[in-house]
Amino acid sequence: MKAPAAPLSPGRRESDLLVIKGVSKTYGSAAQGVMAIRTVDLTVRAGEFMSIVGPSGCGKSTLLQIAAGLLPATVGEVQLGGTKVTSPPEGMVCLFQQYSRSLFPWLTVEDNVRFAFDHHASLDRGKTGERCRRYLEMVGLADFRRNYPWELSGGMQQRVAIARALAAEPRILLLDEPFSSVDALTRLELHGLIVDIWSRTGVTILLVTHDVDEAVFLSDRIALLTKRPSVLAKLFENKLPRPRDPVSSGEDPDFLSLRHELLSRVLDPR
Amino acid sequence: MSNVARRFRQLIIEPMPGLLFIAACIAGLEAMASAKWINPAFSPVPSLVGHRLWEILDSGAVLEPLAQTLGLLTAGYFLACGVGISLGLLMGYYRTAYVLFEPLLELLRPIPKPALLPPLMLVLGLGSAMKIAIVFLGALFPILINTIQAARAVDVVLVDVGRTFRSGPFRIIWRVVFPASLPMILAGMRVSLGLGLVLVVLAEMLTGAGGLGSRIVDLQRSFQAQEMYAWTVVLAGLGLILAVAFNWMERTVAFWSFRR
Repeated sequence: MKAPAAPLSPGRRESDLLVIKGVSKTYGSAAQGVMAIRTVDLTVRAGEFMSIVGPSGCGKSTLLQIAAGLLPATVGEVQLGGTKVTSPPEGMVCLFQQYSRSLFPWLTVEDNVRFAFDHHASLDRGKTGERCRRYLEMVGLADFRRNYPWELSGGMQQRVAIARALAAEPRILLLDEPFSSVDALTRLELHGLIVDIWSRTGVTILLVTHDVDEAVFLSDRIALLTKRPSVLAKLFENKLPRPRDPVSSGEDPDFLSLRHELLSRVLDPR
Repeated sequence: MSNVARRFRQLIIEPMPGLLFIAACIAGLEAMASAKWINPAFSPVPSLVGHRLWEILDSGAVLEPLAQTLGLLTAGYFLACGVGISLGLLMGYYRTAYVLFEPLLELLRPIPKPALLPPLMLVLGLGSAMKIAIVFLGALFPILINTIQAARAVDVVLVDVGRTFRSGPFRIIWRVVFPASLPMILAGMRVSLGLGLVLVVLAEMLTGAGGLGSRIVDLQRSFQAQEMYAWTVVLAGLGLILAVAFNWMERTVAFWSFRR
């Protein structure tokens, strides 16, 4: 299934960055196992912000883990920049849902960020410190680099996780419901932050979420999955103009009609 | 100010009833000795034990046996830590290693470690090698078992963080699995330290070649009861100092697990 052509944001080059080809996933044995994903084909273009939404328990997180090279597909394959993904590839980082489980409590904020790259970069500690500070500044936490993650609030911890992901300087970020474990206001703040980072760095983003408003507010395109075993139900183009605003964009007729269709289909999956 | 007051409460006021009870027991023992209810040839008389203890400490006689016991304990214990943690991390992370070693481990683990002393004496003789070996074997299992369990229980999300940043297995084990397991590894090391002290003293008692254990047995056999008790107090003091030092080390090394 080929995705229909869509207008790209100005200055962004059209090319297929991440290609999910006929991916299927069955947990357990082929005969008795649980089929999480029947078959999914999906292409993420360089520079775009794509979301995957679907009902709870559909294989969307599984699909993201397969795309990240963290979980093997039963059938099919994933390609990043034309190369088959068999383990976490260079240029791709996955950001996990629960900050409290993904940050290392024994490392300071700065050392958590440094973990992203200090095994690949042959830089001295001053240089790596400079790189850590650059990304901590991007999420507004430069002043907290000597603190430990458990000394920070939930939203701040997820910012540290975002800074760590960015510090690896990936071409594509995979986000696995990264805003679902913070309160509603913090979530809106983090939405603004991630869109800002996306437009400033040009990084490609693939987001998995069960929050339809979030998907519509953030993305260029939205892939809707059916309930388990998942297939791609429909690919939506999101024509909501940018820059988007958390207050007024939510009242835009484009926003409301897309939200209406997505939400009704997520709640009543066929 | 309030911090100082809190420390004072913690260190002086709160343990006070327990300390007073110990003092009462010692006074009671002394009173029974004065009343000739107990025989000083066999039972401890606090004033006599205290006097002997002072002589041992003041003359420096304590140093040589203490150094010998502590040296053997340290050698066997650190060997057990090294092997237990490395093997435990491998068995916890790699299923193949777990499947290969686990049955042997389950077979060796329930053996009461003193039962290994006779065969070890046959194989290694009565010298230091045998004593280090028994401390090693006794201390190994609590560390090994705890490390395996902790490494197997490490949150998959933490390991996936290591993987998404393209860490190899060595980096994941060293920088993710090991620190994540550290609080439980330290709990095993604490148990092992006590066991190691028991076993080194027992081995010394059976071989009589120096050290605190053999000194205590020699004094018992020559009916120098009060001096024997004085050396037992030295041993108790050693155990206490090791436990306090371990507590401090644990809180420093695994500081994040003591928050709140």
